[in-house]
Amino acid sequence: MDGDSSTTDTSQLGITGEYMASGQYVLQPQDEDGEESMNDHEEGGAKENYREQDIYLPIANVARIMKNAVPQTGKIAKDAKECVQECVSEFISFITSEASERCHQEKRKTINGEDILFAMSTLGFDMYVDPLKLYLQKFREAMKGEKGIAGVPVGEGLTEELTDDFTNPLPAGIITADGQQQNVMVYTTSYQQIPTVQQIQFS
Amino acid sequence: MSKNSPEKADPSSEAKKTISLPISRVRLIMKSSPDVSSINQDALFLTTKATELFVQHLALSSFNNGCGKETNSLSYSDLAKTAEESETFHFLTDILPKKILARDYLKSLEQMQEEDADF
Repeated sequence: MDGDSSTTDTSQLGITGEYMASGQYVLQPQDEDGEESMNDHEEGGAKENYREQDIYLPIANVARIMKNAVPQTGKIAKDAKECVQECVSEFISFITSEASERCHQEKRKTINGEDILFAMSTLGFDMYVDPLKLYLQKFREAMKGEKGIAGVPVGEGLTEELTDDFTNPLPAGIITADGQQQNVMVYTTSYQQIPTVQQIQFS
Repeated sequence: MSKNSPEKADPSSEAKKTISLPISRVRLIMKSSPDVSSINQDALFLTTKATELFVQHLALSSFNNGCGKETNSLSYSDLAKTAEESETFHFLTDILPKKILARDYLKSLEQMQEEDADF
């Protein structure tokens, strides 16, 4: 007699089809966990349920940088802009996962600047490392100017994000994500113009 | 949405001006990598800045490398070509497939199957 078309015998459920006498058995699907629940796995209410491939930087910003990079009269196709937008997310993930791996190897939880620079060097972007170190130095100098003032976090929104993650002892939340003015801290120290090697100017 | 912020002679806006990409978005992308728990402020800044350099680098390389120079315009195929030919940008080949004729694809598929058969 042919076997039942489906089996509810639990001892047989764990057995693959090869053990069945005839090919007409249908294995009951077992509960699938792990894979399915990836998106539900997130902690932290602030994070929305994005899939990795959906998160891009704004195309206007990307397009502007591209435009400034190519010769003045050059044009850029629309699909090229969109494409670079995706490449950018890929690049960020690429660097981040390399940096994260190194971080884990060294039993650290927070990805720091060194990890990022090392990752770039490893992945063939070592030509960025020196200019980046320079930019970082200037950035730190700019931040240092505020250190003497009471370390009151600037603004809201971004600061909440930052204080979750940043272990930086300097007053947090100076850089605003979208260029809007946050609450202003009063500076009494004199401020010097920072000469930049290669500054992208946007009016 | 205008990103223009009024000129102010304070360090924070000066520091802001060196960056032209939204940091919180960069952070979001970084956090979407598996096993990433926290990200130091320096790391975030460096990644954002590096991303700018990357865009410039990719755009210019592709423009010079591809048909862009003649037509004075950067196209998708310029980017795909650059990803294919440049060691640095090779990681992009998965998301920048070059468009090939169907028969060429089928041919390469056959070759791949032959290689598998050797195992």
